[in-house]
Amino acid sequence: MNLFELFQVSGSALAAERLRAEVATSNLANSETTRTAEGGPYRRQMVVFNSRPASQFRLLLAGSLGGEGGLQAAGGVQVSQVVDDPTPPQRRYEPGHPDADASGYVDYPAISPVQEMVDLMGAERAYELNASAVQAAKQMIQQSLQILK
Amino acid sequence: MNLIETPLMHTLSRALDLTSTQQRLVSQNIANIDTPGYRSQGIDFRQELQRALAEEGGPETAPLVREVPGLIERPDGNNVSLDHESLLMAQNQLAFQVDVQLLRAEFNRLQQAINGGSGQ
Repeated sequence: MNLFELFQVSGSALAAERLRAEVATSNLANSETTRTAEGGPYRRQMVVFNSRPASQFRLLLAGSLGGEGGLQAAGGVQVSQVVDDPTPPQRRYEPGHPDADASGYVDYPAISPVQEMVDLMGAERAYELNASAVQAAKQMIQQSLQILK
Repeated sequence: MNLIETPLMHTLSRALDLTSTQQRLVSQNIANIDTPGYRSQGIDFRQELQRALAEEGGPETAPLVREVPGLIERPDGNNVSLDHESLLMAQNQLAFQVDVQLLRAEFNRLQQAINGGSGQ
């Protein structure tokens, strides 16, 4: 049993939650953006998490050692993709705006600041929780060194 | 009887192994707290310890990892419970500490016996 594996598991979650927070922040920052490189208003981004199977190397190694394999190897989490929210843009009547169409409407991204803030808080709490799991693993490793003393 | 590896040491080392397995599963569950469709994984500590102790010369197979029963599922199919996991994490840390301290005490006793009772 390798306690150091715990760092990889929790570390993958720290990275994923950080990306989720970054995406939420980017959504908040671009809530009024009407021009993008792809044309049209900014589209709200969403992250998709999936659980990461243990690394192939570890599975093969465990298998060749004839011992623990399969479920034994630790799995973390990863962001499999960042997708666009398909919600259509919000139309606001602003005839003076340079991006207004012929009838005077401007397309704004359909972003709700409240929803993004909630997502940001969720990511923050999950990050904290994983950070305390890292702390716990560190403490356990330090304690097992005590046996030597 | 093996003088160097006492029965207590044997039990404690199996318990430490299982505690770290459990801690690994807790980390995995916490890491996947926002993954849609993920099911909380765990082991039956008591049962696994009994099995590990029953087998001569260490366990042949790895502990049985299974889904934790009785957790409430969220709409996205995930059933990781924050309270359950943090409680288990705290419990694991304390159990690990207890096992390590007991193991140290046992080594100290052995050392004392080697020195003929004249301290360490």
